[in-house]
Amino acid sequence: MDTFQLLMNGFATALQPQHLLFCIIGCFLGTLIGVLPGIGPAGGTAMLIPVTFVLDPTDSIIMLAGIYYGAMYGGTITSVLVNVPGEAASAITCVEGYQMAKKGRAGPALTIAAIGSFIGGTVATFGLVLLALPLTRLALMFGPPEFFALMVLGLSLVTGLAGKSLVRAMISAILGLMVAMVGIDPVMGVPRFTFGSIDLLSGFNIVPVAMGVFGIGEILLSTESEVKAVIETKLSNLWLSLQDWKDSVRSIVRGTGIGFFLGLIPGIGAIIPTFISYVAEKKFSKNPETFGTGRIEGLAGPETANNAYANAAMIPLFTLGIPGSPTIAILMGAFMMNGLIPGPFLFKEHADFVWAVIASFCIGNLILVIMNLPMIPLWVKVLKVPPAILNTFIISFCVIGAYSLSNSVFDVGAMLGWGILGYIFKKLDIPLTPLILTLILGPMMERGLRQSLEMSQGDITILFTRPISATLLALAAILIIGTTLRIATKVKGETQL
Amino acid sequence: MKRVYQIAGVILLLFSIYVGLESLSLRYYTSLGPGPGFFPLWLAVIMGILSLLMLYHATFSKSEPLPADFFASKVGYLRAGALCASLIWIVVTMEQLGFRISMAVLFLWLQMTLGHRPNAIVMVVIAAIGSWGAFWVFDNMLRVPLPVGMFGI
Repeated sequence: MDTFQLLMNGFATALQPQHLLFCIIGCFLGTLIGVLPGIGPAGGTAMLIPVTFVLDPTDSIIMLAGIYYGAMYGGTITSVLVNVPGEAASAITCVEGYQMAKKGRAGPALTIAAIGSFIGGTVATFGLVLLALPLTRLALMFGPPEFFALMVLGLSLVTGLAGKSLVRAMISAILGLMVAMVGIDPVMGVPRFTFGSIDLLSGFNIVPVAMGVFGIGEILLSTESEVKAVIETKLSNLWLSLQDWKDSVRSIVRGTGIGFFLGLIPGIGAIIPTFISYVAEKKFSKNPETFGTGRIEGLAGPETANNAYANAAMIPLFTLGIPGSPTIAILMGAFMMNGLIPGPFLFKEHADFVWAVIASFCIGNLILVIMNLPMIPLWVKVLKVPPAILNTFIISFCVIGAYSLSNSVFDVGAMLGWGILGYIFKKLDIPLTPLILTLILGPMMERGLRQSLEMSQGDITILFTRPISATLLALAAILIIGTTLRIATKVKGETQL
Repeated sequence: MKRVYQIAGVILLLFSIYVGLESLSLRYYTSLGPGPGFFPLWLAVIMGILSLLMLYHATFSKSEPLPADFFASKVGYLRAGALCASLIWIVVTMEQLGFRISMAVLFLWLQMTLGHRPNAIVMVVIAAIGSWGAFWVFDNMLRVPLPVGMFGI
C-alpha cells in the first residue's frame, strides 16, 4: 500500500467523530497550558496523561499530540498580550509581538502567528508523511550497534548545543543516565540502586520527573519572587493588511524550512529554531535596526519555525524511536504506557494507528487556527486569575497525575524531590533538557551497548566496523571535539564552566 | 557564582563516588558480556571527572557574578517552603485521610500562604472545587481511581 493510500486511510480514521472530539479537546487543553505562564508543554503534557487512561491508544495519543502543538501556539498569546512567554519557545515572540500589541496591532500579531503556525505545522506534517516510510526502511537496517551510536549522536547534539556550558550540560545528561539505572537491569533482570524498595524496582517514571522539574520546579521559582501585575493590551480587529501579508510571506517560508530541518535533529529543543529564525529575519531585513519595535517579520518567522519544529520533531520519534525534546520524551512515555513502542516496528505492526495519528496532526493544525483566534478573550480572562490560585490548581493536577500512575504516593514524593532538584538546577543554570532525554534514552542506550558487546563477544570494535554505527559515532565525535575546541579557544578568563 | 559551583562540584563528586562504590557490588562483566555494574561504574567515573572539572573551573577561572535574584527574600523562601510542606502533607496523609480531605487542606493552606487571600467563602469554594470537584471529575467521570481514606471520604 503506498504512502498516499495509507494517509487517506489515516484521515478516514482520524475524522471519525470520537477521534475528532479528542483532537479538539487536546488542542483546547494544550492552548490553555501554553497560555499559563510557568507550566510549559512538558509539564503540562505529563500532568494530563492520567486524563487519557480511560481512552483507547489512538484517542490517547491524538489528544496528547494536540496538547503538545496546542501548547506551542498558546504560549504566543501571553507573549503578545502581556509580554510574558507562556512557554520557553515563545520568549522570542515577546520581542516583536508585544511591541506590535502596544501599537494597537495585537490582533494582526496573533493572526499572523496563527497562520504561520498552521503553515509550518502542516508542511512539517507532510514532511513526516513523505519521510516516514523511507526512514523506517533505513531504521529497519539498524541493529543494536546502530541504535547505540544514534543515541550517542543524539546526546552529543543535546550537550553540544546546550549553550553556555558544555560541562553543565554533560552533568545533566550523565545524571539522567545514572537515574535511568535505578530499577531492574534491562538485560540480566538484577535490581540496581533500589535500596530494597518495591517502588524503585520499576525505576523513576518519566511523568513525575517531568512534572517535578518542569512543573513544581517552575512554580517554586515563581512563588519565591514577587507577583508582578499583569499589564494587558487591548485586542482590536484581527485582520491583516496587504502590507502585512507581503512582509510575512517570505518569513513564513524561511521559518518553515528552519523549523522543519531542525526538528529532524534530536535534542535541539524549541528555543533554538525560534531564535535562529529571528536572527535570520533580521539578517534578511532591509531595516534590521528597526527590529525590536514591532516588526511583523520578526514574529511570523519564529512562530512558524516553532510549530514546524514541533511537528517535525515527531519524525525521529515515529521512525527511529528517538525523542527530540522533553515533551516528545513524555509523549514517548505515553506511547509505552499504551503498549506501543515508537520506532520502525510501529509502522509495521500498528500501521492503522500511526497513520491515524499522523492525519490527526494535519487536522489538529487546522483546528488550532480556527479555534484559537475567536477564543482569545477567554484566554485573556484565564490570565486574570491570580497566580496563587492557578498554581494551586496546577499542583493539584500534578498530584493527581503522579499518584494515578501506580496509585502510590511514592510518585508524588518523587515529583516533589525532582521539583526541588529542578529548582536548584535552574538556579545553577544547569539545563534540564539533557536530563529528561537521557532518562528516557538511558535504558535503550545500555541495552544497545550490552547487546552489541554480546553479539561481538566483548569486542568493542563492532561499533566502529559497521558502516552506519561508525559514521554516526564519527559525527558525534566531530561534534563533541568541535564544541570543546570552540569553548577552549575563548579568551582565558571568559571561559565558563 | 564561585562558591556555589564549588559546593555543587563537591556534592556531585561525593555522589559519583557513592554510585561508583555501589556499582562495585554489582557484577561488572559476565560470560555473556557487560554485567549490571558496567554502565553505572563508568557513568560514576565520568560524573566524577565532570564534577572535578566544575570544581577546577570554579576555583581557578573567572566566574560570573551571582545574579541579583539568586537568593530570594525571606517571604519568598517561606512561600516556597509552604509549597513543599503542602506536598509533604499530601504524601503523608492522602492515603489515610483520602484525596478529598487532604486536597481540601492543601487548597486552603496554599491560598493562605502563596500571597493571595480572597475572603473566607471564596477560599472554601475554591478548596471544594479543587478537592471534591476534582475527585468527581477524575474518579467518577474519567475513572482515574483516587484514594478514599479511613473516614470513607
